[in-house]
Amino acid sequence: MTAQARTRPGPAPTTASYIYGIVPAGVRAPRGESPVGDGNHRLATIRHGMIAALTSPVDLSVPIGTPDDLIAHQRVLDAVARRAPVLPMRFGAVLAEPGAVRQELLAGHHDEFAAALDQMAGTVQYVVAGRYDQDVVLTEVLRESDQAQALAAAIRGQDELATRDLRIQLGELVNAAIASKRDADTAAFASAVEPLCVAIAVRAPSHEQDAVHLALLVDRAHKEKLGRLVDQTAATWGDRVRLRLLGPMAPYDFATTAPPG
Amino acid sequence: MTAVQTSSSPMTDRPSSSSLADVIDTILDKGLVIDAYVRVSLVGIEVLTIDARIVIASVDTYLRFAEAVNRLDLSDQGQGLPELIGGMQQSGAKQKTKGALDAAGDKLAEVTGGRREQRSRRSSGRAEAGDEERGRR
Repeated sequence: MTAQARTRPGPAPTTASYIYGIVPAGVRAPRGESPVGDGNHRLATIRHGMIAALTSPVDLSVPIGTPDDLIAHQRVLDAVARRAPVLPMRFGAVLAEPGAVRQELLAGHHDEFAAALDQMAGTVQYVVAGRYDQDVVLTEVLRESDQAQALAAAIRGQDELATRDLRIQLGELVNAAIASKRDADTAAFASAVEPLCVAIAVRAPSHEQDAVHLALLVDRAHKEKLGRLVDQTAATWGDRVRLRLLGPMAPYDFATTAPPG
Repeated sequence: MTAVQTSSSPMTDRPSSSSLADVIDTILDKGLVIDAYVRVSLVGIEVLTIDARIVIASVDTYLRFAEAVNRLDLSDQGQGLPELIGGMQQSGAKQKTKGALDAAGDKLAEVTGGRREQRSRRSSGRAEAGDEERGRR
């Protein structure tokens, strides 16, 4: 607020600086990607010393956070991540104006960001997301649990309301069984890809039938190897799990440096 | 339906761009938090609220799972299971497990039309069969 008053006396500003992330100085803003907010604005970098912020002007009068905005944020960062290290910001970072980006964000944390970018150099993030095929995993759960079989038998063909308690019991059991399968499959998958990874972050499941949800920080040189390894695992799982490999992307799950205090 | 995607198609999906759901999982609660670095020149802008997706198991989840189990076609299960097991275990185990499943099928039929005492007795009988199955692994 004080910075605003100092730099912009007079009418309230109508635009501000949206921040996507921090890159090494010299990295250019990607071309052909739409910015967050109004498409009329352009992506640009603001440099200071050895680092730069990837930004675009954003209109203050229009709320941000539409599906297009969210996708734009990630697309801009991923486009940069394909060729350079980048520290992604969480969605929604907005500063008053370019001078504030340079002064408070970049100058204020120059060495810290530069060191983090050094650490990320040569790596890129992938996400592996696998979801159990419902019929296959339920069949598995039933086969492995006599209690589940008994409950399934008890509700079959019965009135839904009359068997509500049994259904809740069965569902709870199934949910717990899937959760323990998820833990086991996640651990197995993580140890299979570990040799190729600089770091691994286990993501919280985003769906109750998630089999595996991992973020992998991988050496760029290992792209092909990772792909083959993921395919091999997918092959052993067969129809049991539908596996997706997302990336390369910016290291969202690994850029978590916070300043002291 | 599940059989179609087995051999010829690539094992892993590699979407060329992230779906909105994937984006939400990735950018809303991860990455650097601007407030940790900047105080003075932060600008309040209205951000439409979208919550990161968190799975919280609830009664609804349980009822959904139960209904999915209820809809599992038993005859389908009879055919699908040996296939599945064939891929994961030695062939020797195949016959026996199939047998156990058939027995389970019989019991299901009985229990559906039967009484409660019968079910509890039957299910303890299944526990033995289950132990046997686990013991083989």
